Amino acid sequence: MKVFDYVRPASVAEAIAAAAAPGAVYLAGGTNLLDLMKGETLRPDRLVDVTRLPGLDRIEWLGDGGVRIGALVRNAALAHDAAFATAYPAVAEALLSGASAQLRNAATVGGNLLQRTRCAYFHDPASACNKRQPGAGCDARGGENRLHAVLGWSEACIATHPSDFCVPLAALDAVVEIEGPAGRREVALEALHRLPGDTPERGTALAPGELIVALRLPGEAAGFAAHARYLKVRERTSYAFAVVSAAAALRLEGGRIRAARLALGGVAARPWRARAAEESLVGVEAGEAAFRRAAEAALAEARPSGDNAFKIELARRLVRRALALAVAGTPARIPALPASPFPSVAGARHDA
Amino acid sequence: MTLRLRLNGRPVQAQADPAMRLSDLLRDVLGLTGTKIGCNAGDCGACTVLLDGRQVCACLVPAARAEGCDIRTVEGLAEGGALNALQAAFLRHGAAQCGICTPGMLMAATDLLARLPTPTEAQVQDALGGVLCRCTGYRKIIDAVLDVAGPSPPVAGAMGARLPKVDGPAKLTGAERFGADALPDEAFLTIRAIRSPHAHARFTLGDFAPLLAAHPGLLRVLTAADLPGARVFGIYPTGKDQPVLADGLVRHRGEPVCALLGDAATLAGIPEGDVPVAWEPLPEVTFAAGGPDLHAHAPGNVLCRGLVARGDPATGFAAAAARADIATATGFVEHAYIEPEAGYARRVGDGMEVVACTQTPYMDRDEIALILGIPPERVRVIPTAVGGGFGGKLDLSIQPLACVAAWLTLRPVRMVYGRGESMAASTKRHPARIAAAAAADAGGRLTAFTFHGDFDTGAYASWGPTVANRVPVHAMGPYAVPHVRCTTAALHTNGPPAGAFRGFGVPQAAIAGEALMDMLAAQLGLDPWDIRRINALGEGSTTATGQMLGAGAALPECLDAIRPRWQALRQEASDFNRQAGVLRRGAGLACMWYGIGNTSMSNPSEMVIGIGADGRCTLFSGAVDIGQGSNTIMVQIAAEALGVPPEALNLVSGDTKTTRDAGKTSASRQSFVSGNAARLAGAALRAEILRRANAGPEAMIMLHDGRISVVSGDAATILDPAAMAPDAEGLVLRGEGRFDPPTTALDAHGQGIPYACYAFAAQAALVEVDTALGTVRVLRIVAAHDVGRAVNPTLVEGQIHGGIAQGLGLALMEEYLPGRTDNLHDYLIPTIGDVPEIETILVERPDPLGPYGAKGVGEPALVATAPAILNAIADAIGARLTRVPATPDRVLAALAR
Repeated sequence: MKVFDYVRPASVAEAIAAAAAPGAVYLAGGTNLLDLMKGETLRPDRLVDVTRLPGLDRIEWLGDGGVRIGALVRNAALAHDAAFATAYPAVAEALLSGASAQLRNAATVGGNLLQRTRCAYFHDPASACNKRQPGAGCDARGGENRLHAVLGWSEACIATHPSDFCVPLAALDAVVEIEGPAGRREVALEALHRLPGDTPERGTALAPGELIVALRLPGEAAGFAAHARYLKVRERTSYAFAVVSAAAALRLEGGRIRAARLALGGVAARPWRARAAEESLVGVEAGEAAFRRAAEAALAEARPSGDNAFKIELARRLVRRALALAVAGTPARIPALPASPFPSVAGARHDA
Repeated sequence: MTLRLRLNGRPVQAQADPAMRLSDLLRDVLGLTGTKIGCNAGDCGACTVLLDGRQVCACLVPAARAEGCDIRTVEGLAEGGALNALQAAFLRHGAAQCGICTPGMLMAATDLLARLPTPTEAQVQDALGGVLCRCTGYRKIIDAVLDVAGPSPPVAGAMGARLPKVDGPAKLTGAERFGADALPDEAFLTIRAIRSPHAHARFTLGDFAPLLAAHPGLLRVLTAADLPGARVFGIYPTGKDQPVLADGLVRHRGEPVCALLGDAATLAGIPEGDVPVAWEPLPEVTFAAGGPDLHAHAPGNVLCRGLVARGDPATGFAAAAARADIATATGFVEHAYIEPEAGYARRVGDGMEVVACTQTPYMDRDEIALILGIPPERVRVIPTAVGGGFGGKLDLSIQPLACVAAWLTLRPVRMVYGRGESMAASTKRHPARIAAAAAADAGGRLTAFTFHGDFDTGAYASWGPTVANRVPVHAMGPYAVPHVRCTTAALHTNGPPAGAFRGFGVPQAAIAGEALMDMLAAQLGLDPWDIRRINALGEGSTTATGQMLGAGAALPECLDAIRPRWQALRQEASDFNRQAGVLRRGAGLACMWYGIGNTSMSNPSEMVIGIGADGRCTLFSGAVDIGQGSNTIMVQIAAEALGVPPEALNLVSGDTKTTRDAGKTSASRQSFVSGNAARLAGAALRAEILRRANAGPEAMIMLHDGRISVVSGDAATILDPAAMAPDAEGLVLRGEGRFDPPTTALDAHGQGIPYACYAFAAQAALVEVDTALGTVRVLRIVAAHDVGRAVNPTLVEGQIHGGIAQGLGLALMEEYLPGRTDNLHDYLIPTIGDVPEIETILVERPDPLGPYGAKGVGEPALVATAPAILNAIADAIGARLTRVPATPDRVLAALAR
């Protein structure tokens, strides 16, 4: 590990000033950063420790019924906040389906939004990776790419975004509050993560030195609470990244869908909001035919980036399942095995 | 910076780099090595501690984050020197095997129990889901947490007692010393190997002078030119082929080309790219496509072949009413022990002392002697506790480079693998490509079996010959077949060296063989149980090598014991499947057999037990306990033979200077082979004591207050060890035992007696398949195992649970891809949520040759699981997977066919 400079600013302004130095990175929970530093994937010159910045660890309810979540709120604290889980159950379910209890206790909301891809070629210094080293090439294209992107990828990069948390956030119009050298601004979560195009090294819309200070969910999104699910196909029961995941949220009126939200995870370099699929659902009767059309629409542009064609049909099926389960209704409590497409195992449930 | 925190209730102050990992702060600065490092990535949870009462991975907590916080580690659990209730429950239930994950499990459970004193099983699984265990299969850990308030019943007797592990308490308090915990401060010099990023390449080393000049803490760079003795090593005396350091050519990704020697901080600060190595990549020889010869001694890249032939398969196929054919494939599987390889070496006079984790101290000793060019007597190997092995610590790891560096510099040198290095540099399970066929008559009796398996042995030989020889003996499964032809080839590729991994190729073969049994049964309209029972090897059966089996062969009994459970699982699956929907359940059955000990080879074990002048009785056991419990098993058997309670014995374990060669902890041989040596040693000491006391064989021996009482009827004789003359080893009375299983060589057709003892088992699995998404959940496993006699039923169950978990991983999720899965989040092993309820049925029909009838169970536990799960998937979806792991893409592809 490289020898570096460590600063612990007392305010957001100080943090932004400290991060203006070249090679500076923010340190919050550290769950992703320390791992990247070990692998030489990331070699910062300066760590700006934001964990003790005041006021960023609060969950505040807003006038419109929405919520503002400080960037330093821990994943576990948010998932287990009863009011939050009641208003945004799919987000809580996604949080609890990710990583392990240890990591959820340490990881922060802000850091989770900036989680780096798990592409093995990005993490392997011996492999060519345009994301790590622009212009180097992409060894994943001809390599082991069973789990790589099927949407929004480019010849330059086929990596996926690994977050569970971000998938329902994208579906529910979450907004990210950012402070930076140029002042304060807001970005829709959907626009925070960038598709690779020709510049896969730029994974997010953040400018150098910018700091995520909070995440907002609009009150309108709480209107989906009765019919919202997050489902995740994974290759072991717990503590595994998604092969494909889906967040589905519906507002129903007499068997008809009044509003729909749908996003996919594990399929692209960003959580994939499926707007065409949402539109296809509005005003129609909730049922298998509608779900099938929505699934087709959601994956209409999908194409394999390698040995991963199966993910396209798998994603369609997961969309249908997520919509069907959303219609069936949000469970009173989050299942013992969050986001499992299997019926809940008997026994305890999470008290979210 | 100066950090202030509370550690286990006490204020602590330490100097630390703010970005130092909390795990390193605890271990290296504060000296608390109970917190283990398995991955440094938050993937394994071995470093779990409580930070302000909540479980976190200490490896991902920057030290600065811990400032002002309350930290609790495993060292803070014991109360007043005694195990707390949770630790006691772990001990009672056998929840710690190797013990490397145990601190993490205990801390995660402590967090849970503080919030939910009486959790449900699902809550335990949720709370402990971030700690990986490779030994236990998790079931006994769940039992222990659920039974935290339960009583500890007294344990009486030796053989058959559920004796808590003799080394258990140390594993529960953090006191146990694994490879990375045993490093003395003076061994601060560290080795960092520079490894090939290419599977096949020529390379040239550049001038190291600028690197040395730029880094004053870099002492020297070792290259192949520095090696004092043999430049290659290997398992077999002939055919040593694996370079200590490659010399201009690498044959697998991860092969070391040079080694930096210096202090750890200096080495960590040197970017890989600054080390002058010029690479010229070469075309890769793959298992799928082959390629030019990698070794002159292996034309066609064939390392070796194996054969067992009996009768005439053509005749058997011609006479058959049913015939089934199958082609199966498996990939590399990683051992994924949670303890990466670690240890240190130091030169002592003209000799070498190595303290490291290993499964085979005596082989290590001999190999290190060759590498240093000195006689084996001048090498002493002192094994540390082993944090899981499963065959992967039978090959040398850190020893060659640490020893060479210590030898050349005259200074103690340490080497500690990181997770990525451990996975890149260590051996793997052989990928297999199998074509097999079986036939049966109308009554279901097998008439013929043919099998050919190619096994990818990777770049170097390692244990490839063992796999090639063991598989043909076992490939037809535990069934009587008159006409058999089984062949194997171990093929070199530019993959990682494939070596020993729990089962030596037999698990791969069983996937094919047990599928054929179900396919034949389906053709003949027989229940899968019936066709297995009809053909089961039992007492008096003749195997395909022409060996007549004795009274210990108990597969019929295993099948009879499992039958009601099998029928219930079948019924449950068919009841469930009456409802419409995408979920389908299936039940699968598989049998296995496994020869205990090495194949047609002398593999003796020697044990010594003695009494010192102080009256203390000590068992000197060279059998290395890798978590399976051989320390406890040897004590129980020796105590039984001596006629004293196990608590009366002290144990000195596995040190090439102080114990005799007990052979490898491998091939499921320690209970059977070393157990016999322990029994003979105990019996010899008993005979000597009785002779001195002039007492008959029924007399009772009691050790107390430094004296030996021999009671026979109303008469008691007291022997006083203090009055006896000690021998050179300080013993006044001793017994020695040696056992070598009686086997014969196999002839040109593979005929002979390859093993003195076989273990048998039948396992049944109930699975649920989501036919829309291709996911599989195992709902239940029933395992009936012929164990001869359970020396310690808790430990036997623990072996079975752990083997089943590894078999489940093989079936459903594990495949190692060099360079792509060198961590524990891309290489998936089962978590606590993946292992279902397991019912174990111990079939105890004593083996005539076993110690008190006992036989091995370590590998037998794993072999039948993957085939049972795959048969259950086939039952559920009506399509058979022939390639593992059964990931969703493969299940969906099978459904689409």
